[in-house]
Amino acid sequence: MVFSSIEFLLYFLPVFFLLYWISPEKIKNVTLVSGSLVFYAYGEPVYIILLILSVYINYYIGLCLGNNREYDKFEDSETEKEKKNSKSQRQKRMLIWTSVTLNVGALALLKWHVGGFAFPLGMSFYTFQILAYHFDVYRGVVEREGSLLAFATYITMFPKLISGPIGEYSVMQKELTKRRVTALQVQDGLKVFAVGLGLKVLLADRVGILWHEIQVTGFESISTPLAWLGAFAYSMKIYFDFYGYSLMAIGLGRMLGFTLPKNFDNPYMAKSVREFYRRWHITLGKWFCRYVYIPLGGSHKKAWRTVCNLLVVWLLTAVWHGTTINFLLWGGILWVCIVLERVLLKPLLQMKFIEKCWRVFSHLYIWIIIPISWMCFAIAELDQLIVYLGRMFNVIPGIYIYAGDWIKALSNYGLLLGVSVVFCTPLPEKLYRKWKDSFPGICILAALFWLSIHRIMQEGNNPFMYFRF
Amino acid sequence: MIVLLGMGLVYFSCTDSWMVYAKPMKQAQEWFGRQKKELDNKDNDSENVSGGNAAGDSSSIEDTDAEITTETTIEATEETFQSETSQLETSQLETNQSETLQSESWPAENIHTVSSSDAGEKREQIVYGRVEEDYFADALFIGDSRTVGLYEYGGLEEIATFYASTGLTIQKMFTAPIVKVPGQKEKQTIEEALTEKQFAKIYLMIGINEMGSGTVDSFIEEYEAVIAHLQELQPDAIIYVQGIIKVTNKRSQQGDYIHNEGIEARNAELAKLADNKNVFYLDVNPLICDEEGGVIANYTYDGVHLKAQYISIWKEFLKDNGVEKVVLD
Repeated sequence: MVFSSIEFLLYFLPVFFLLYWISPEKIKNVTLVSGSLVFYAYGEPVYIILLILSVYINYYIGLCLGNNREYDKFEDSETEKEKKNSKSQRQKRMLIWTSVTLNVGALALLKWHVGGFAFPLGMSFYTFQILAYHFDVYRGVVEREGSLLAFATYITMFPKLISGPIGEYSVMQKELTKRRVTALQVQDGLKVFAVGLGLKVLLADRVGILWHEIQVTGFESISTPLAWLGAFAYSMKIYFDFYGYSLMAIGLGRMLGFTLPKNFDNPYMAKSVREFYRRWHITLGKWFCRYVYIPLGGSHKKAWRTVCNLLVVWLLTAVWHGTTINFLLWGGILWVCIVLERVLLKPLLQMKFIEKCWRVFSHLYIWIIIPISWMCFAIAELDQLIVYLGRMFNVIPGIYIYAGDWIKALSNYGLLLGVSVVFCTPLPEKLYRKWKDSFPGICILAALFWLSIHRIMQEGNNPFMYFRF
Repeated sequence: MIVLLGMGLVYFSCTDSWMVYAKPMKQAQEWFGRQKKELDNKDNDSENVSGGNAAGDSSSIEDTDAEITTETTIEATEETFQSETSQLETSQLETNQSETLQSESWPAENIHTVSSSDAGEKREQIVYGRVEEDYFADALFIGDSRTVGLYEYGGLEEIATFYASTGLTIQKMFTAPIVKVPGQKEKQTIEEALTEKQFAKIYLMIGINEMGSGTVDSFIEEYEAVIAHLQELQPDAIIYVQGIIKVTNKRSQQGDYIHNEGIEARNAELAKLADNKNVFYLDVNPLICDEEGGVIANYTYDGVHLKAQYISIWKEFLKDNGVEKVVLD
């Protein structure tokens, strides 16, 4: 199930939450886990087995990883204790490697062999969450989770099951067993959910139609201005799609009594690619930083080591998103940008004059480089990607171009793109904070919710599926 | 929260959308094998929508029918109903297939064939063959998004006239306001436009949007009426009925109402509308389809629309198959 579907909004949401709120404190987790399994099974009846297996196996691995007590019982001499400790350490090291091999192996196997739409929903996310938990238990940052139910709740809870945010176990630990659901929280959650739904349905899906139209026309036959408009449209679509989804997840989490981490922080306002990816999909960035970049030495070693570490991180990030060559290109571009920013930009910005100029140009730089990188992300076929980039820079001649295509696109989507740009700034969030508790604000949010539902009903779940020809 | 629910109630009642719940309820009913009557009683909670509900329910039966075919629990009456319709469909298909073979009856390509007809006092000769682009100067193209594609990427936008709009259907062809008039804010309908201006040739490419509703027969009936009305409005025009462009095999197998079998069935009937005097049938499909009968996958992104660079195949086909009436002394 997806959040922005009639099945979820009108059937699952009311029924589940009614059951959840009336179930007593003690069995709330049971309700949540079973509800989440229904939620997952609705679209993925086969891979639910994989999910359940994964929860079981990883729960036991986690148990063994966090197993300290047995060895504390022995009151032997120091040397022997050390021996045993090293033995247990060795066992744990083996266990953590087993966990990594199993989880990453299953993920990689399915990514390479199944790929595309048949790929199990949310697997990339829950695998990473499990790994984070194992690493933390291994390092002793957190205690192991003793209850299978609590662990299953942590992994399968439906708000973040499909697309994150990747929640840290240490942060969520308390709420897994003890949490309060107040009416105020529910109301707050609903508000956040309504905003997220609106962003996804009313902005992302509609701006996405422009990108779809360009694909229908064929990249060979678009004018250069339209190629840029298309890249912007896709940049907006992917942002509001994911941002909207994350907001919905956070809202749902709040309605359940959880505090899920923020995933986006106005990324398009960033002044460098490095900053962009600190504001974009924050939880994934943190994951890679904490479990890959820092263990490799981070930026505390020699300069060339930092560059190599960054390369590893971006290589993995790229492969995590997809296994086709275009994702490597996407990661590669970002890596080059980040390295250049470190090596060239940093020393240059020491000079006052350049720093002042850069304040203006940095936004321009982001709004040019990020859409280009998104095109590498979006177009899987290399030859098609080359054509598109060629059209963006007018180095590949077009075939049968309709000269007025970009004017038509602007007149149809100009307003939407404009609204999208406004929503890229921090302004809407400020307004939301100011107005969300006032009566007109509540009315607007409720209207947003039903307007979104109205659009979904009209178009079906997929805005392109019931498209008129 | 209260505002949200309240607004929802208002919204549902205003737009008569309680239907959304009727469908799964009906499915649930079937699961438990209860009687239909109960559903109607249970559903009509609110008085003001009861009328709409009853009407809506009967229509939703059709919807659910298609979905339930894979499920095992179907009421006995519906089962018989279904098997009847499927029989009908298959028999229709068979006849259509035999007809499509006949319908590819364009009189030899590129060769000037001559046939004469005596329309009253004037003696007219019909000349088939290759034409140049100026042929389209007094031509009108009417159609859906496919024709919009021809307008944008066919290179005829300066030459020919296009009354085309995405989502145009045969039912709404004359009444939809889609014709831009220079210097006027509001758009004209095709009806109005055609009373003001005469064309020598009219190309029709329409029919894929209609596949979701009605039958082949009802579609052809409406198409026939449209042609008759066109001839009233434009007595001298040559009317080209174009076979609906097919979709890719992949798109065809997607499982919704758009499939090549349906298009073939409609095209076979469309071909029969041609009298080869004033109405001619053209079918570009053989040039853009593979052996399996669907549009070549590379030619399209969404499976339905030709990519801009392949529109020229269609245009060249139209140029290759022009018809001209030559008045004999």
